[in-house]
Amino acid sequence: MKRRQQGILTGMPFMAHVSSRSFVDDMGRKIYLAKAPTRIVSLAPSVTETLFAIGAGSQVVGVTQFCDFPPEAAQKPKVGYANPNLESLVALQPDLIITPQQFLKLDLLGKLEQLKIPVFILADRSVEDIFSHIQTLGRMLDRSTEAVALGMDLRQEIARLKARTQGQPPVRVLYVLNSQPLITVGPGSFIDQLIGLVGGVNVAAKSATPYPRLSMEVVLQEDPEVLVFPIGKAEGISESEQQAWRQWTTLTAVKQGRLRQIPADLLNRPGPRIGKGLELLADILHPSPPASPATGERP
Amino acid sequence: MRGQWQRTGAILSSRRWGLILSGLLLASLGVVLLCSRFGAALVPWGDVFPALVHALKTGEWDQSSIGTSGVILMQVRLPRVLMGFLVGGSLAAVGVTLQALLRNPLADPYVLGVSSGAALGAAVTMLLGIGTTMALLPVLPLCGFAGGLLALVVIYRLAQSQGRLPIHSLLLAGVILNAILTALIMFITSIMEPNRSAGLMAWLMGSLIAPGYPALGVLAGYAVFVLAIVMQKAQMLNVLTLGEETARSLGIDTERMKKQLFVLTALLTGAVVSVSGMIGFVGMVVPHAVRLVLGSDHRLLLPASVLVGGMFLVAADTIARTLFAPAEIPVGIVTALIGGPFFLYLLLWRKDRML
Repeated sequence: MKRRQQGILTGMPFMAHVSSRSFVDDMGRKIYLAKAPTRIVSLAPSVTETLFAIGAGSQVVGVTQFCDFPPEAAQKPKVGYANPNLESLVALQPDLIITPQQFLKLDLLGKLEQLKIPVFILADRSVEDIFSHIQTLGRMLDRSTEAVALGMDLRQEIARLKARTQGQPPVRVLYVLNSQPLITVGPGSFIDQLIGLVGGVNVAAKSATPYPRLSMEVVLQEDPEVLVFPIGKAEGISESEQQAWRQWTTLTAVKQGRLRQIPADLLNRPGPRIGKGLELLADILHPSPPASPATGERP
Repeated sequence: MRGQWQRTGAILSSRRWGLILSGLLLASLGVVLLCSRFGAALVPWGDVFPALVHALKTGEWDQSSIGTSGVILMQVRLPRVLMGFLVGGSLAAVGVTLQALLRNPLADPYVLGVSSGAALGAAVTMLLGIGTTMALLPVLPLCGFAGGLLALVVIYRLAQSQGRLPIHSLLLAGVILNAILTALIMFITSIMEPNRSAGLMAWLMGSLIAPGYPALGVLAGYAVFVLAIVMQKAQMLNVLTLGEETARSLGIDTERMKKQLFVLTALLTGAVVSVSGMIGFVGMVVPHAVRLVLGSDHRLLLPASVLVGGMFLVAADTIARTLFAPAEIPVGIVTALIGGPFFLYLLLWRKDRML
């Protein structure tokens, strides 16, 4: 119904072209865009990075305060992240708002729908979702060529890392999203998948939720060989919290001194830079050359 | 409620006192041991005890000599169970004391805003990313404690405007301060990076992850110190519940006593919140439940509430850390969902008996 009205209003014959210009988001909502949007508000750093990576950076008119990559993105007008302000959103006159599912407020969504501002919701549950989001955004913005190239590069990078780490002995990993209380990644999160791709075994594999609050008892029992701490300004684990982990001297990771850091914005953001994050992770799990001493220190 | 409130004068024989308390003490020991049995990881006691005995004999009490199972039992699970007992007992004691001081059955360590002050202090630490320990100093508990103390000072100044501490202004100030502090905490979580704010929220909802035996010892020191003084004043609390006029006519300096006990309970609350986050419900409900069963003589009510509160929180935390193992759920959710219906049942059962 809505599509039909929009089709008429924009003077488009709602037949052949319509289907290729309608999109279904990860909540199953269908939106129709008569032409590529020119004023986009991105409500997640990963979305902002993707838009810039496919060359649509100039169409971005609003970002969150955590969108700091590429540097140009940080210059864009800011709207909130978890709590974006409705009026400042509307004032930016967006013809598309792209938001992650996690932090979406339903009342805000309702109001935006009422105001006829298209909202597209992305849920990143797997690595495949990241690829499909790049493709979808490419189609939406008439930047399919760039999106396909970006997706190909990313796939190749991941495939290369997967091949490089294949055949190496699996390494037990704990990814520390939050230290106190301990929150980590579990099945159903893309980071858990990334760990598996480069020959890691997530010690939280038996958890039922994507981001479980994990029991310390389980950590001691599963005995991770590597602890990975995301680090960064706004997100990430502080140095003192990392050091506090050294008290658990029965952990193989502590014995061997394999407490490692990864910039949080590379691995925590389901965007085009996961390839870089994954490479760091692969290096951490399987230091090259492979026959380095048991301390696991990289040369 | 009024009925039990006035049974204060009932004679408490020392035999009944001793019997009930030793019963509860035994039960507490049982609960602590039983709950140490359960956890996300399987700890075969048969393997652990020889290692522990050996470690005790040789004095080599390091992690490699007691093995992973030993570490899980002695350094993760047992401290946590003990911490649960301490926190639960302290919250219940504070609840009993405040309910008597304010003669208000709704009084609770959380109503006065001290706990949110402590929580705010901790939240600020997390926002600044200072971390939980610095040069072996537990920064998070210290900042939480400072926040709680600050809230206490503010509320004390506010309420003390006429040199006295009228109860209604105290409660009112507490409620308003609580609202302000909670709003500040919410403000902090809303400007934080979502991953970090999720961590803060998880902490706020209550987490009994024990920071180790030294910290436990400090908390125990607070608890014993405050309890000892409050116990000494149990008889005076009995009198106070009869009414302030009555108490004053019996020669009790009620203002002084109220100030003293108020500061003490606030101190204990600050210490507890700074290590465990916001575990509501225990401080309000446990004293009531105990009062319904054992009557309201504070000489019995106070120690009994401490033991029951301890047992209750240990049991609740055992559920919180095993129900969805290997994941944990915030213990505050369990205390409310298990304790609430139980309390309602107790209320109905008791009403039945009295009619």
